[in-house]
Amino acid sequence: MIHRIVFLITGLACLLSAAGRANAHPHVWVTMTEELLYATDGSVTGVRHAWTFDDMFSAFATQGMEQKTQGMFTREELEPLAKVNVESLKEYAYFTYAKVNGKRQRDAFLEPVDYFLEYDPKETVLTLHFTLPFKAPVKAKALDVEIYDPEFFIDFGFAEKDPVRLVSAPAQCTASVQKPHDDNFSAALRLDKSLMTSEANAGMGASFANRISVTCP
Amino acid sequence: MTGDAGTRLIRRLALAAAVVALVLAVNTATSAFAQAGLFGGRGPPADTGVIGWIVAKQALFYRALSGLIRAAKTDGSAYWGLIGISFIYGIFHAAGPGHGKAVISSYLLANEETWLRGIALSFASALLQALTAVVLVTIAAVLIGATAKMMGDTVRIIEIVSYALIVLLGVRLFWVKGRSFLHALHDVRAKAELVEQNAPHAVHAHCEHHSHNDHAHHDHAHDEHGHHARAHSHNHDKEESVLPWGHAHGPEPEELAGPGGWRRGLSAIVAVGLRPCSGAIIVLVFALAQGLFWAGVASTFVMGIGTAITVAAIATLAVGAKSLAKRFARSRAGYGALMLRGVEVGAAVLVMAFGVLLLTGTVASERMGVF
Repeated sequence: MIHRIVFLITGLACLLSAAGRANAHPHVWVTMTEELLYATDGSVTGVRHAWTFDDMFSAFATQGMEQKTQGMFTREELEPLAKVNVESLKEYAYFTYAKVNGKRQRDAFLEPVDYFLEYDPKETVLTLHFTLPFKAPVKAKALDVEIYDPEFFIDFGFAEKDPVRLVSAPAQCTASVQKPHDDNFSAALRLDKSLMTSEANAGMGASFANRISVTCP
Repeated sequence: MTGDAGTRLIRRLALAAAVVALVLAVNTATSAFAQAGLFGGRGPPADTGVIGWIVAKQALFYRALSGLIRAAKTDGSAYWGLIGISFIYGIFHAAGPGHGKAVISSYLLANEETWLRGIALSFASALLQALTAVVLVTIAAVLIGATAKMMGDTVRIIEIVSYALIVLLGVRLFWVKGRSFLHALHDVRAKAELVEQNAPHAVHAHCEHHSHNDHAHHDHAHDEHGHHARAHSHNHDKEESVLPWGHAHGPEPEELAGPGGWRRGLSAIVAVGLRPCSGAIIVLVFALAQGLFWAGVASTFVMGIGTAITVAAIATLAVGAKSLAKRFARSRAGYGALMLRGVEVGAAVLVMAFGVLLLTGTVASERMGVF
């Protein structure tokens, strides 16, 4: 009898905990344009992010902000918000993960520098610019930078056009992007597509990461 | 007689099969989540299976909302699209965290509630969630022009209060159900002993009419009534060690299902419904920025109804599971009641655990604020 009670309770606990921990879902969409910054000796010194938020989140983020001209926010007006953004991002490790020669780097970056927000009045969207310097410049054959939100509250995707640029990189270095997302703002459609091929991807947990891979042979 | 035993066997097998199927299903889902890194392990989210499909759908609907709100500015018919999409979005959205499915279902398992009451509870908590979102945005954004950060901070405070209330709800359920469980345990033991001793010690009622307020009195009582059957006193001592308050009986299930149930239900509704949904707040602020705040309010409430439907469906499962357990319990006197009380204690522990996990941030709920 007792084991049956235990059995029943375990079953219910499983069901409910699964329900309780059910997956998160994005409320924020980010379109990224990324730059890898190189020093003259060919080492990578940092990652320069440009993240454009979706219009709903942009409206939310700018709510209550002072503005001189209706429908426009200047860089100066947005400065306090930019500060809040980069400060809050620290908690999430800036959603930026580096791998050097295939090895995951812990705590690879310093605090962000050169950060600011830009407002596009036509699209009514915000773009957050910030640079993450590497603690120690990376000189490696293979460098991977991944950008994603493990909790999937933010859906990151590369920009359609020129998502990655290598700034003053040695000529032999090449970058490639792995994007589960073809275009950021139709995330759902992309997901549908990926569902059809998901059997092949099953077990490859990283199939959702946005990855920049740079090789310098 | 053999026919009876046969049905019982079939029923047991069916129950076992159901539990196995449940565990298998949950394990599949769990491994998908684990792969997704959502169980604490870091990794990108999964894009496979039912979960991926739900994520995909709600992302699609959520993205559609902004376009529809914009369109509603110039095209009145877009309102209907907005209402429709909000409704469907709500249904899908509730599959995610932060909508109290787990707490509501555990609460229903722990209590003696009807199917109808489970549904009412789901709707009330989902609509309260919509209401808090509307109230928050009306006061913060419309009236005092607060920034996103201020709203985020407010949500965080509401969140902490809400999670603390869930813990309290769990503690109270555990207290009440724990007592009922111990009471059932006492009954089962007493019965077993009664059978063993062939019942001349049915003087059992003796326990009921003296109030063991302190141990001194208790010991004294034992000296005095030393002759009162050894078996009885050993049973008694055990109970004393776990029930220091004496013989106060836990409330009977009938009392719990009584009209006071609404007041009890209210605590669950508030605990779950207090925290507004992040998505609703973003939609409301966006609608406000577009000069269509009322469209946002309508969308939020319709979303709430959609959410309520999903939560109610899961609540129905919980009520069904409970009544199955109850039927099962009835087939076995004594132990059956004990099992039922055990399930209730388990569910109360779950409510507490959810509260603690949410409060400590172990279980990710929705994020709010600028990030």
